[in-house]
Amino acid sequence: MNTIVVDHISKTFGETRAVDDVSFEVAQGELFGLLGPNGAGKTTAIRLILDIFKPDSGTVAILGGEMTEAKKDRIGYLPEERGLYQEIPLERCLTYLASLKGLTRPQIRQRLEPLLEKFDLVDHRKKKVKELSKGMQQKAQLIVTIIHQPELIIIDEPFSALDPINTQMVKDMLREERNKGATIVMCTHQMNQVEELCDRLVLIDRGRTMLYGELNEIRRRYASPEVIVRTLEPLPAVINGITEIVPQNGDYKLSLAEGVRPNDVLGELLSSGLTMEKFETALPTLDEIFIDVVQGKTGRA
Amino acid sequence: MKKLWLIFRHEYTRHVLRKRFLMALLSVPIFVVVMSVLVVIAVAVQNDRTPIGYVDHSGVLMRAQQRSDSDDSFGSSLQISSYPNENTAREALVTGDIQAYFVVALDYMRTGRVALVAEKQPGDNVVSDFEDFLRYNLASQYPAPLDERLYRQPLVEMRALETDRQTASNQLLNMIIPMAVGVLFIIAVNTSGGYLVQALVEEKENRTMEIVVTSVSPMQLMTGKIMGDIAVGLTQLVLWIGFPLLALTVLATVMPPVAGLTIDMGFVWLMLALLLPAFVLVAGLMAIAGATATDSREAQQIASMFTLPIFIPYWFSSAILANPNSTVAVGLSLFPLTAPTMLPLRAAITVIPAWQIALSLVLLVTSALGVLWLASRVFRIGMLRYGKRLRLKELFIRSKRGGAVA
Repeated sequence: MNTIVVDHISKTFGETRAVDDVSFEVAQGELFGLLGPNGAGKTTAIRLILDIFKPDSGTVAILGGEMTEAKKDRIGYLPEERGLYQEIPLERCLTYLASLKGLTRPQIRQRLEPLLEKFDLVDHRKKKVKELSKGMQQKAQLIVTIIHQPELIIIDEPFSALDPINTQMVKDMLREERNKGATIVMCTHQMNQVEELCDRLVLIDRGRTMLYGELNEIRRRYASPEVIVRTLEPLPAVINGITEIVPQNGDYKLSLAEGVRPNDVLGELLSSGLTMEKFETALPTLDEIFIDVVQGKTGRA
Repeated sequence: MKKLWLIFRHEYTRHVLRKRFLMALLSVPIFVVVMSVLVVIAVAVQNDRTPIGYVDHSGVLMRAQQRSDSDDSFGSSLQISSYPNENTAREALVTGDIQAYFVVALDYMRTGRVALVAEKQPGDNVVSDFEDFLRYNLASQYPAPLDERLYRQPLVEMRALETDRQTASNQLLNMIIPMAVGVLFIIAVNTSGGYLVQALVEEKENRTMEIVVTSVSPMQLMTGKIMGDIAVGLTQLVLWIGFPLLALTVLATVMPPVAGLTIDMGFVWLMLALLLPAFVLVAGLMAIAGATATDSREAQQIASMFTLPIFIPYWFSSAILANPNSTVAVGLSLFPLTAPTMLPLRAAITVIPAWQIALSLVLLVTSALGVLWLASRVFRIGMLRYGKRLRLKELFIRSKRGGAVA
């Protein structure tokens, strides 16, 4: 069963079409990437999914149907711009927000302690939220997102304001939540994080879907006809089916002639008696695909 | 319901437990105490307690007595001594035994002439105490109860034609309490409403709102906030009004004059009936201000548009005191934003026809409910608008569509 089904949703604010006929599905238990440059409509899409806004057209099904008040307790949400009550002590703030997710006082006490320890906030629990650093506030907000053990976690830019150590900790936490069975939607413009964590993704630009599918499948789809090779012996100047040979970091990048498959090249190299140390198809990074799609508008959703 | 209670409790405690609330709470009684002390000091400094004297050429004060002070007066009268002639009186004045003396003319019964002799301008109480003394002794020449009626002011009771409600003109508190309660009401409504606006704008600005509306419904959030705001305001009012009442009750046991002062229960019921819808009305308007505004400065501006009308009755207070049943006064009693301060003010000095009270309450309750409805609509649409103002047109178009958020 899919946890989220977004079906042709559109949303216009005044003259701006923030989301334009976007569709995608998030399967149960997967870590899904919602990507796009700044101002692409990612946050609006999330707000439509969370029923903060109603779409002008199209439908959203979440956890098996329309959003209800009861379902809100099964969802954890980390908004892009972090919001916590600044004037009250951290522990009171976290307790209040957790209680709004339906947790009882004893449940909160039991779950908050290990989370505060895990996020290194135990010593700051009595401090007012405004006295905490930006990174600490972000970690506190992550506690609010997961303390009620939600089935669906939606997090908007989870790594902004975090140092490398905390970034790694959040990555581990996301993997851990997924392993426990939670479905996670991660909204970001940091492609390397998506590459590392996500199974599938949708890329939105100017409100429209530009790319949608499994990460590796997308990379293969965007692969240019090139192979990377490294051999013990020097390469011959001319190889059948190869139009150009370019040295690259101790390897060679070979451009394939039209109609030539990487397997043909591998066969050709082996038959000429070369000892192969490395042979791989040159898959583009998600960053390259992102720039290509957003600048070149060559989306293939 | 549980979440509504959680929001209410959070809103209430986060304001009440803050230092600024305690300061606001204490500022009013501190102000009142400081003012009272200043007034007492000023009176004490002004009023010379040195006795006064008189020389009676007319013979009307031959068997004169000073009235005992204990029955119904707050301050004691000056001691008054008789002198056989002006020379002895002048001597006493020069030596400082008395601060002034009066000379009652021979033809006083015909002309009413009395001369006052003093070294410097005497305080008001010198003249008023002697007048009182003279009137008391003139009246005492007549048999009871005629003497008492001649000496005392008549007890005027005002009655409305169509009902048996009445107001007694001699009750001091009847005049002071509506004014004081009105002012306290304005302060309470404004401070608590100010907190509500500020909290809303803050939550919008720092995006806490986003977290909260993905946990509870916007309706629950708004209702909880408004209830919290009203509770904060009522806490202030109860403490501000409750403590003086307690003080008066305690005072009444030791000071008999205080026990003589009664508060008109009709007025108390009127205030109680006005208080809650008025609070809801203002809190709803504040919620609208907070949800529509893009920043705190704009929110304060919108909020002041709603709170200024509450003061209007005080701007016109002299005109209203002169003519409490004029068209303006009646109009302001009916207009929901001015009714909570206008009705008590008029109730203190006149008898308000029952239909006006009824109509005013109906209008107030109706508009409070209307504002609540509008606030919930504005809240749903405006709560997550950042940097973009909500237009009135949008509100009604969207309400036809069924709102932005369920």
